[in-house]
Amino acid sequence: MRASRLRLCLLLCFPLLIAAQDLKQFEKKVTEFTLSNGMKFIVLERHDAPVVSFHTYVNAGSVDDPSGETGIAHMFEHMAFKGTETIGTKNYAAEKQALDAVEQAYTKLAAEQAKGARADAKRTAVLESGVKAAIAKAESYVDPNAYPRLIEENGGVGLNAQTGEDATEYFYSLPSNRVELWFSLESARFLHPVFREFYKERDVVREERRMRVDSDPGGQVMEALLATAFEAHPYRRPTSGWASDIMSLRVAAARAFFDKYYAPANITIAIAGDVNPRQMKLFAEKYFGRIPARPLPPPLHTVEPPQRGEKRVRIASDSQPLLEMVYKRPDQNDPDDPVFDVIAGILDSGRTGLLYTTLVRDRKIAMVAACDATFPGGRYPSLFLFYAAPSMGHTVEENEKALDEVIERLKTTKVDAVTLQRVKTKVRADLIRQLDSDSGMASQLTWYEVNYGDWRKMFTGLDDIDKVTADDVERVAQKYFVKEHRTVAYTVSKGEGK
Amino acid sequence: MRLLTAAILACGLIQAQDPAALKFPPLRPVHIPQVETYTMRNGIRVYLLENHELPLVNGLALVRTGGLFDPPDKIGLASLTGTVMRSGGTRAKSGDQLNEELENLAASVESSIGDTAGEVSFSTLSADTAQVLAAFRDVIREPAFRQDKIDLAKMQIRSAIARRNDNPNRIAAREFSRLIYGKNTPYGAQVEYDTVARITRDDLVAFYRRYYFPANVMLAVYGDFDSARMKAQLERLFGDWNDTQPPVPAFPKVERRPAPGVYVATKSDVDQTVFYVGQLGGELRDKDDPALEVMGDILGGGFASRLFKRVRTELGYAYDVSAGWSPAYNYPGTFEIAGSTKSASTADTLAVIRQEVRRLRTAEVSDEELRTAKETLLNSFVFNFDRPSKTLSRMLRYEYYGYPKDFIFQYQKAIAAVTKSDVLRVAKQYLDPAQFTIVAVGNPAEFGKPLASLGLPVHSLDITIPKPEAAEVTARRAIGR
Repeated sequence: MRASRLRLCLLLCFPLLIAAQDLKQFEKKVTEFTLSNGMKFIVLERHDAPVVSFHTYVNAGSVDDPSGETGIAHMFEHMAFKGTETIGTKNYAAEKQALDAVEQAYTKLAAEQAKGARADAKRTAVLESGVKAAIAKAESYVDPNAYPRLIEENGGVGLNAQTGEDATEYFYSLPSNRVELWFSLESARFLHPVFREFYKERDVVREERRMRVDSDPGGQVMEALLATAFEAHPYRRPTSGWASDIMSLRVAAARAFFDKYYAPANITIAIAGDVNPRQMKLFAEKYFGRIPARPLPPPLHTVEPPQRGEKRVRIASDSQPLLEMVYKRPDQNDPDDPVFDVIAGILDSGRTGLLYTTLVRDRKIAMVAACDATFPGGRYPSLFLFYAAPSMGHTVEENEKALDEVIERLKTTKVDAVTLQRVKTKVRADLIRQLDSDSGMASQLTWYEVNYGDWRKMFTGLDDIDKVTADDVERVAQKYFVKEHRTVAYTVSKGEGK
Repeated sequence: MRLLTAAILACGLIQAQDPAALKFPPLRPVHIPQVETYTMRNGIRVYLLENHELPLVNGLALVRTGGLFDPPDKIGLASLTGTVMRSGGTRAKSGDQLNEELENLAASVESSIGDTAGEVSFSTLSADTAQVLAAFRDVIREPAFRQDKIDLAKMQIRSAIARRNDNPNRIAAREFSRLIYGKNTPYGAQVEYDTVARITRDDLVAFYRRYYFPANVMLAVYGDFDSARMKAQLERLFGDWNDTQPPVPAFPKVERRPAPGVYVATKSDVDQTVFYVGQLGGELRDKDDPALEVMGDILGGGFASRLFKRVRTELGYAYDVSAGWSPAYNYPGTFEIAGSTKSASTADTLAVIRQEVRRLRTAEVSDEELRTAKETLLNSFVFNFDRPSKTLSRMLRYEYYGYPKDFIFQYQKAIAAVTKSDVLRVAKQYLDPAQFTIVAVGNPAEFGKPLASLGLPVHSLDITIPKPEAAEVTARRAIGR
């Protein structure tokens, strides 16, 4: 249940190669079907061991959080582990009444709190204790953590979920004799979600934010970077939500988010492992077919306006220095998308990438220097990220200068044929290395299917990568790596940041 | 195992069922691949597992050595040796040449030395096996330890030292471990600017020579190859390696030296406390290990555990809280409870944790808790066999650490046999809350309730990083010699 921010470069620059006959072979093991409510399934058969992995990909993430309710996509993800009308409750009818009472009490409290400084302290205290009592009553019906417990005691492993900017994903693996358990549990939580223990979980989510952002200098720099690089587009907001928004989230908002974005046609599921596809289809119809069709959510209209000059943001910190630099880039369906992936391969790959050889190996000014071609998401126009952690005794300024030189080199010197081929070979080999992981494949199949409209892009995208030329690299670097369109975020010692 | 005729399941006539009501067919048996093993004349133990599913070959050399053998004044020597064995290149090629050659093939050869083992590994597309094996051989047999890469690796270590107090979680884990094992023992020792500065190229070469010799090496190869040809290749590459050294001594023993009390490290720029609570643990082979692991799971192993339920679900104090009896293969591991909470609930969270440990030692766990913990461990057992390579690497570890070949099945049986009274007995016998070490990293100014309210002695931990100046002088002197 983590709010993932930095999707690894490797994962994104996955586009593909492998010869056409490999795709043919692979296709034989894949079965696809779509239910009448619009929910899409991809089944990959692998019978090597009696295990199976499931991956549910919901095409909605923190970009879809309504204003003032940042963090609601992530909050709903947490609620999806709280159980159903039958799992996690001692008496659902009574619990439901108690949950409704919590909402009524909370609404009264919220109305008083909304008066701000004019709120009546005594009345607030009374209302607060009313909320507390209502919550205690509702909790008396709860069988805590029954939902995940059922998965764990059935041998489930890798149970987790993650909320990103673009999507929310739920996944785990089971022994293959228990596939029906997954169908039953997964369909139930997206048929009738139950918003139990919402306000306790809100505290947990607030703690999660403290851990990932508020207590972590890297998290602080990243958050400031995004909030500065984007002015209008919701990529500017943290996936975890702003602290004050989190503490005001309500059940009604989570329910509204679910109703709007968890429409069956907005969900894609991959099943990879020791399964019979015909049986999977029967189970899918039986369990997920119960979910009524709903319209797809409307598209996001906000378009980031053009950037009219370099932006810089400084974070005062007692920690060791960090530097992050981003350039605006188009979305993942732009024809130049594979070129960005190749550029990332040239810059950051093993010990031959330009960032490593220049900043780490030769100049020894960075402990780590890396990049990410598509950040923080890819559905909408996003960023190409450069990142450096200066080595001991070296500064952010030195590293920024060195990054500038590396970028300048991309714009003025054509990449040599050996390097270009190395990047392409690596992309192909990376795909082969992934093929024997059920969970990895289930994740990739959904990601390509949703983001490129066809899971086959995992293979055919290799052709796109193969077509990238040294001219393309130079052209794209010149077009997009321009100072006016970049944002630089870095730490400064406390006291210096004024 | 719950049974149901597969026929009903397959025909799909039944209606959507509530999860708790489901019955499952038996799991089909796992296939356990046959690993071929033999010993070369020079003493290298070889393990081969052919598998042609993907056009890949992977290999691992496991070497009996480790950071536990670092001289006290040169902590970091083993780790540095492991790094530069690869980065510093071989007699034939510089490290940078190796990087290019391997990455042009999308292949890798890597080397590292951890606390209790050294590893050199490779991974390649099967078409390039011969070329990559040759590089693998050279890194193992002829590392050149070029000075420029020693300097680079030392710079990286110094940078890591400078950053080691930036993350509260890492501080807490580190300080907990140092208190449990003793900071002046091989298990609690920590690399410092001084200890790195003292390490010279001669030290690396000597460390390498002492431990990297055929009789001290186990070699495993997995993937898309023909076994007969692979044997011939290995013979060609390693058959004439005849270095000898006296047998490597046993790893140092851990001394039980409790450090009871609360230890607070101040980090004023955070609004959350990271805590570690616990004591010295045991080895995986201990007779009571299965009962202790079940105990740890019930206390803090997953969503169903007592701590998760109380601290996260009921109190909302933490995002992460977990506990576990974490054995090591060949020395006592730790028992630890770890998590984080907002500064103001630090004392309350620690109090709840202590209550839960007390409860574990005074009353038997419920039937339901025992069943859940055991089923969790037993039903997920199949994932130990979901890839053939797991059988190979497990076999290697077992032989390296002197465990019986069928240990995993003995362990499975022992878990199945654990009873409620076993759990209570081991909790009483092994857990000693009076001696627990509690580490809290956070901002005491915002703790609200002071930690003294726990009724335990509170010590403050000095995590200041010793300055490198002294080290610079030493380094210059070393060069001057």
